[in-house]
Amino acid sequence: MGAGKHAGKILILAEDACAYPGADATGQGHMSYSADTYILRVKASVLFPEQFYLDCFSKGIAGIIIMSCGAETPYPGAYEALARRIDRVYVLMKERGLDIRRLRLTAICTVCTRAFLKEVQQMQDLVCQLGAPGSEAAAAPAGAAKALQEQ
Amino acid sequence: MAQKKKPALAPEPTPGGKVGVYVCHCGGNISDAVDVEQVCAQARRVPGVVVARDQMFMCSDPGQEMIIEDLKSGLVDRVVVASCSPSLHESTFRNALLRAGANPYVYEHANLREQVSWVHHGPEATAKATRLVAAAAAKAARLKPLEPIRVEVQPRALVIGGGVAGMKAALELAARGQAVVLVEKSPFLGGQVAQLQELAPEGETAAAVISELAGAVLGHPAVTVYTCAQVEGFEGYIGNFKLKVVRKPPLGATYADRLEKLSKSGQGLGEYVPFVGVMPATIPESPEDFDLEAGVVVLATGMRPYQPRPGEYAYKNFPEVVTLPEFIRLQAEAEGEGDTLMLHGRPIRGAALIHCVGSRQIPGIHAENEGGYLNEYCSRTCCAATLYAANLIRDRYPQTKIFDFYRDIRTYGRGQEELYTQAAASQVVFFRFEAGEEPQVLKNPDPQGPPLLVQVKDVLTFGEELEVPVDLVVLAVGQEPNNIAGLVQQMKIPIGADRFLQEVHPKLRPVEMSVAGILLAGTCQAPFDVGETCAAAGAAAVKAAAILARGFVELDPFVAEVDLSKCTGTGACVEACLADGALSLVDLEVAGQKVRRARVNPVMCLGCGACVAVCPENAINVQGWTLKQFESMVDLIVSDEYLEGA
Amino acid sequence: MGSRQNRRFDALVLGGGIAGLEAALNLAEQNFAVAVVEKDASIGGKMIRLSKVFPTLDCSSCITTPKMAAAAHHPNIALFTYCEMQTLERRGEDLVAGILQKSRYVDVEKCIGCRQCEYQCPVLVPDAEQGGFAARKAIYIPFSNAIPQKALIDTDNCILCGRCAKVCPTQAVNYFEQPEEFHLTAAAAVIATGFEAIPLEDKVQYGQGRIPNVITALQMERLLAPHGPYNRVLRPYDGMEPDSIAFIQCAGSRDQSLGVPYCSRVCCMYAIKEAMLLSGALPLADIAIYYMDIRAFGKGYEQFYQTAQAMGVNFVKGKAAYLDPGENGAVRVRYESQEATGGVQVAEHDLVVLSLGLVPAWDPQGRCLLSTGGDKFIKTVKPKTAPTLTDLEGVFVAGAAAGPKDIVDSIAEAGAAAMEASRYLSKQ
Ligand SMILES: Cc1cc2nc3c(=O)[nH]c(=O)nc-3n(C[C@H](O)[C@H](O)[C@H](O)COP(=O)(O)OP(=O)(O)OC[C@H]3O[C@@H](n4cnc5c(N)ncnc54)[C@H](O)[C@@H]3O)c2cc1C
Ligand code: SF4
Ligand code: SF4
Repeated sequence: MGAGKHAGKILILAEDACAYPGADATGQGHMSYSADTYILRVKASVLFPEQFYLDCFSKGIAGIIIMSCGAETPYPGAYEALARRIDRVYVLMKERGLDIRRLRLTAICTVCTRAFLKEVQQMQDLVCQLGAPGSEAAAAPAGAAKALQEQ
Repeated sequence: MAQKKKPALAPEPTPGGKVGVYVCHCGGNISDAVDVEQVCAQARRVPGVVVARDQMFMCSDPGQEMIIEDLKSGLVDRVVVASCSPSLHESTFRNALLRAGANPYVYEHANLREQVSWVHHGPEATAKATRLVAAAAAKAARLKPLEPIRVEVQPRALVIGGGVAGMKAALELAARGQAVVLVEKSPFLGGQVAQLQELAPEGETAAAVISELAGAVLGHPAVTVYTCAQVEGFEGYIGNFKLKVVRKPPLGATYADRLEKLSKSGQGLGEYVPFVGVMPATIPESPEDFDLEAGVVVLATGMRPYQPRPGEYAYKNFPEVVTLPEFIRLQAEAEGEGDTLMLHGRPIRGAALIHCVGSRQIPGIHAENEGGYLNEYCSRTCCAATLYAANLIRDRYPQTKIFDFYRDIRTYGRGQEELYTQAAASQVVFFRFEAGEEPQVLKNPDPQGPPLLVQVKDVLTFGEELEVPVDLVVLAVGQEPNNIAGLVQQMKIPIGADRFLQEVHPKLRPVEMSVAGILLAGTCQAPFDVGETCAAAGAAAVKAAAILARGFVELDPFVAEVDLSKCTGTGACVEACLADGALSLVDLEVAGQKVRRARVNPVMCLGCGACVAVCPENAINVQGWTLKQFESMVDLIVSDEYLEGA
Repeated sequence: MGSRQNRRFDALVLGGGIAGLEAALNLAEQNFAVAVVEKDASIGGKMIRLSKVFPTLDCSSCITTPKMAAAAHHPNIALFTYCEMQTLERRGEDLVAGILQKSRYVDVEKCIGCRQCEYQCPVLVPDAEQGGFAARKAIYIPFSNAIPQKALIDTDNCILCGRCAKVCPTQAVNYFEQPEEFHLTAAAAVIATGFEAIPLEDKVQYGQGRIPNVITALQMERLLAPHGPYNRVLRPYDGMEPDSIAFIQCAGSRDQSLGVPYCSRVCCMYAIKEAMLLSGALPLADIAIYYMDIRAFGKGYEQFYQTAQAMGVNFVKGKAAYLDPGENGAVRVRYESQEATGGVQVAEHDLVVLSLGLVPAWDPQGRCLLSTGGDKFIKTVKPKTAPTLTDLEGVFVAGAAAGPKDIVDSIAEAGAAAMEASRYLSKQ
């Protein structure tokens, strides 16, 4: 799997109980993926406010994959709260003319190596296609582009 | 949704800590793909980093010594190790910090093996490694020393329920030297087992089992037993539960027949009486209550047999239709020898046993029970108990024929399949029915014949409609949880769709409730037989024993913390909190002014950070995982400033 | 792991499966020093080799690895892997275990689990950890989530080419390593040696492993595992995607003439589970389960069974008596039907999975004075009030070592055994 052209960095929020070990398993299998991916180890992604995602995009992160534990989270209720938040982030992204596919909520388990690779590859393909965050805003209504600039 | 604009995003130039970066070659595993020296060189340009060194094996003694020396000399006060996955060596390096006399939490790990050298190659591997190290350094610079949260534990366990599970759990704890208070609602110890006689599959007697357990419980100086007692007040948290126990005379005639049996038996207090149990103390004359502190609570509130609706399999329509527990009692009291079972002077030449009554109910096929629910679960114990009864009758009364109507025979356990084989060998006649095609129990139209007729479409004869005249129908009723709505509400503990108490996770934390310090034992969790109940009680007791024996609980310091300089008391965090009681608004005096502010109860906090996301001031954070730390990590990941040639 | 000196502990746990680990953790949490002795090169037992687990369908590795790691990092637990217990005897107050450390030919103190040796090794052999469907090297780390992550050499297949020794960055490979015997002493012990499936080779009526596309349920677990051998479900014989899959229940159980008169207790549920996972992986495939009784007795199990029925898994009441090879790699199943008009019926399937009977993994005979029951599993002497008590003082039993048992029940018994053992220890 080649890295493709350098279209921008992908940030992965990998929850400690499942996706982080899943990424480790991918590494142990020497299954290569784009080097433009950066994994943040988190306890629960429900910690991050809407603004965090928007800030990441304005800092130049081209895509974010939240790799949660899904319903198997050790924090009862956290996944539902996270899913509701991500819906709100999507609204805010649209307002700013950001393609909402740049943010993806998934569940990855400790041995989900193939799912991990697939998610990374899909995001990589997407950011290659979309370019830097905000570049799609040029095609979007002017107001949205302006909103992004103000970030 | 309107979003407040955040204060400046600019990274702070000097975050405080003196960070040491230690990069491992992993004997080539990392250094073959990553230019380790270059990573070090670039890391030195990251704000806050005072030293960056490399080593062939960081986890080796020389590697660890290198870190310890830098800490001891005061050169560094924050540590980043960049090596393999933290799952392998994070604890190794935290321990190294401890050995250097430092706080183990001023440590951050960068994963250069699983996340870089094993998955990327060429110059981009080195660049990514550098960015990960820089991000880790940015977080490390913002780490604060943390102390584990220590909660003292009241040296006492409260066990609720005086059946087999409660008694077994109490005994185990007492044997480990812990003080136990056992609270039982009825005047008796022994629970449902006292309503039985011989226990499948081995045939131990209920008398022996209860006498053993109750005798030991009552004889143990560390166990205090309160009968006719209930928990009516509950507050606190693990280690420090405060409970109110009320003893009062039972309502009306609830236990009249058992009390009568007891007085007729001529047995005294503390002695086992069949179908009664063991009564350890007299019934209180008037209500009395007292307060109790306990470090842990074990719930052992047990089950009750399913009570068929009138008309279900003609129950209550005909006196000859009885439940299995009713039959066990009738049979125990049956008189006469002979080779035919006699009940109330009536010979039983043929008896039908029907499985799965009140169990394995299927939505759309079976009618809902009175409360509007279905018992979809299998009650686990009735197959073996029914076959045991069948064999017992065939053995003692060879002239009494047994007809067994089942859906699946579930003799799964040790010694149980033998019951099934034995039943077949002793000419128990089996009929198999499908869900929704339950046998019908009717009045036998033939006045000369036995009183009842059982009609069934039998799978074993490929769907033949058969009619079996019998003198008795025994319904193998399932188990239902006892009604403990009061406790459930006070303790805020979850019950499942099956109405049994719901553990946190069936494999990871099978005897724990979501409220820390509350454990569950026995059939309040799910149907079990006596042996399984005692195993479950032991499993609950061992968790309780660990908490009590240590005398304190140490919890991860990764919990929410309020920054009072920023908190404006909006209460958004309280609303978002996922753990009941972890966050609240309290009145405080700040600079002479009365204000409302968020306060964390660290014992209840799960550290998930649901609160962090909603605070408009970022006044609440999870220690060790703050939003600022994450933001600075992202800043360093996107920055090019420390890269050579930048 | 330390040098193999004769060491003293409060308790020994024999077997590092889920029952053993749970027992060890419960003892260690009460501040007892515990030694876990495991005959395999990794702890984790059968559970770490499963795909997903009933009835919650969570990934087995996700549930097992946290317990494995907790045991490996616990200050009160010492792991002795690749160690076989040869004797266990009571000497006064003490239980003394004779242990054989088998040779890994790799110094575990030096090995850093980097797998360089594995990459260099030129020998490929079928990997039993992947049901024999994938290959591994002659020097290898048992599997991706093994603990400890240390290599070992399979001497049956090693050709002594020397490449691994040359490439190892820590010079950990030692072709001359000798097995070592040592003693562990403790006051109490928990036996958690688990189960094995009866070998397919013993089963004439199921073709003794000679009929292509007849596999065991444990092999199916590997095919279904997220990190399995093919990354999808294919039949091993020709790599075809099977359209019709059958499970044969009670294959060797509940039948005196087949040697296992008792019920193996977990096969109904794992067959239902595997069937459900298969219908996810191969949505168009027909899946049949041939059974006598479905024993879905545990918490949530009956509901799980009903869900499988609703998903379209075909439950066929009938005892499969005989298997024959059919056309194009198909398997012919001859069974006595309890349905429709009954009688002996024949059906063809692309792939047949056997739910083989389970037998004890360890026989104490000749090694220690523990008694076994008629079923050869460790005998318990007070099955009602103290279900983990054996007839050897200070020795307790947990999990499948005392009869086939699912994970939930094994964990409960492990807690109970740890409780009995700690109570015994505090009497001392
Ligand atoms: C195909 C299949 C699928 C299953 N699926 C599920 C499922 O989905 N859900 C579920 O709940 N259960 C399932 N089970 C059952 C589950 O595997 C068992 O409940 C569980 O493994 C029992 O754990 P244990 O620790 O008692 O035994 P084991 O897992 O067998 O562990 C015993 C350990 O002891 C070691 N050992 C043996 N002898 C010695 C010795 N002499 N010295 C040192 N060590 C020794 C063994 O190597 C092993 O590591 C399944 C079983 C099978 C066969
Ligand atoms: S144990 Fe037997 S009788 Fe009881 S509910 Fe389960 S299948 Fe029915
Ligand atoms: S971190 Fe989670 S549990 Fe703790 S107070 Fe915040 S929301 Fe509640």
